[in-house]
Amino acid sequence: MFVASPPLASAADVEAGRRKAEPCAACHGRDGNASIPGTPSLAGQPVFFTHWQLIKFRDGRRKDPLMSPVAEHLSDEDMADLAAYYQAQPPRRRPGTLDPAKIAEGQRLAEVHHCTSCHKPGLIGQQQAARLAGQDLDYLLKLLRGFKAKTASDLDGTMTIAAQPLSADDIVSLAHFIASLGQE
Amino acid sequence: MRRIALSTLTVATLVGLLAPLASGQTPPPWKQGQPQDLADSTLAPIAQPPAPKAAGEIPVDKIKLPPGFKASLWASGINNARVMTWGDKGTLFVGSRVAGNVYAVIDKGGQREVKTVAKGLNLPNGLAFRDGTLYIAEVSRITKMAGIENALDSPPAMEVVYDILPRDLPHGWKYLAFGPDGKLYFNIGAPCNICMPPDTHANISRVNPDGTGFEYVARGVRNSVGFDWHPVTKELYFTTHGRDWLGDDLPSDRFDVAPKKGMHFGFPYCHQGDILDPEFGKGHSCSEFTPPLLKTGPHVAGNGVEFYTGSMFPPEYKNRVFLAQRGSWNRNKKIGFRVMMVTLGSGGAPKYEPFAEGWLQGEEVWGRPVYTRQMKDGSLLISDDYAGAIYRITYQK
Repeated sequence: MFVASPPLASAADVEAGRRKAEPCAACHGRDGNASIPGTPSLAGQPVFFTHWQLIKFRDGRRKDPLMSPVAEHLSDEDMADLAAYYQAQPPRRRPGTLDPAKIAEGQRLAEVHHCTSCHKPGLIGQQQAARLAGQDLDYLLKLLRGFKAKTASDLDGTMTIAAQPLSADDIVSLAHFIASLGQE
Repeated sequence: MRRIALSTLTVATLVGLLAPLASGQTPPPWKQGQPQDLADSTLAPIAQPPAPKAAGEIPVDKIKLPPGFKASLWASGINNARVMTWGDKGTLFVGSRVAGNVYAVIDKGGQREVKTVAKGLNLPNGLAFRDGTLYIAEVSRITKMAGIENALDSPPAMEVVYDILPRDLPHGWKYLAFGPDGKLYFNIGAPCNICMPPDTHANISRVNPDGTGFEYVARGVRNSVGFDWHPVTKELYFTTHGRDWLGDDLPSDRFDVAPKKGMHFGFPYCHQGDILDPEFGKGHSCSEFTPPLLKTGPHVAGNGVEFYTGSMFPPEYKNRVFLAQRGSWNRNKKIGFRVMMVTLGSGGAPKYEPFAEGWLQGEEVWGRPVYTRQMKDGSLLISDDYAGAIYRITYQK
């Protein structure tokens, strides 16, 4: 009946997502738990989050030399399948050396800055808000510094606004705290 | 000429200065102004799905209308479809918010083709069209694409019309429309749920289509993302979203008329014309401000405003106003998710009644009507940014 572009989304398919995720495994890990410092884990990310990020890469609103060319060729259906696959994978905390003093300070800052309002208690994420718990330290640092500098891609400005009061030290402490959450 | 100054205050600083919170930092914009006793509330905005629903997943038969009216699915697959405006040659241009896209929908004899003519924009909700040119309002700028209908596959570059608007993202997205005076009208929303806005915010403003002559039209308007002009009196009518976190039933959203420039509609001092804000209302009286023409209901999220001027619908529909209400999040029992209609009388209260309902089933939401746009034949299109669809309402006796 309708000719529509972009193509219509259909019900997301975890199995199709598993196949489509094969080229992603080299960086993000077969089950979405990455091991390369600076590369985010996708396991356990809410469906809306992963799908929105892929749309932003495809539209050029979020730029990355590795991700932009990949997202360029994804259909809405591919994105929905990938997002469903990654949400279904159990997330594991990224290994790394964390500073207990920074973790404690980060925990205090997370409360002061209302992180759980959107990212939920335990920072497990919901809807379009990312799962943060146990994420890679370098990636968290890069992203928080990007939001502070107003250069990281934001869906509606919420994170850019949230990052403005953070000092450089606050960002490091928050990242240590976030990276310490979740199960190994 | 008054020029608007870019606000150098960030929202965080502003709110931090004026409404210090116990914790010392500003919560996310949607949570700002939440009192301590509601701190455990689970209410939060309804997330925008990242992709449109497939045509087969859209239960258009659930849309309930008055007798003789019929709803059909006119177009689907339009991510985050919001404002609609017609090109001279019959292209329907459609704006979005978080999707960042502007679309062109071409009617091809019973089929609709959707093209994305701009992407990666900053909340491009506002669209207006005149003399072959599409005007696009993002958060901090208005741009135009001349001759676009002749070049939908290779759209022309966006030329700046006006780009010194505030950059604040909360309530930063705009409605845009040509007034009867040929000027471009748009909102500059309050950069918060509740705060003392800078002088540059919480208003409806206008500028000439060449970017000169900026001026404020209406003040004390928290955030209006829908307006139209009465077909006879040419007066400006607009909806306004009320503040959150004053409870399920307060305050009401508003439908207002601004017959002249410079009127003040109360924000942040007075809400719904008759209740003072618990914080900013101190030392004020609601009698200082213009009351609403109509209280449209708490948290209904009134967006689209359109006077009906077509001939398909029954004669009593002439000059009635359609109000599209995207629906509540800051209320335990959901409300809105419908298109209401207003019959303005000569004296007496306006009549306010449902026109199209059914996007809300119990507490389940399957769609959110955002704007309406008449077709040439007098039928009415309704955009739905949640399902990414456009419905067409027709009437037959």
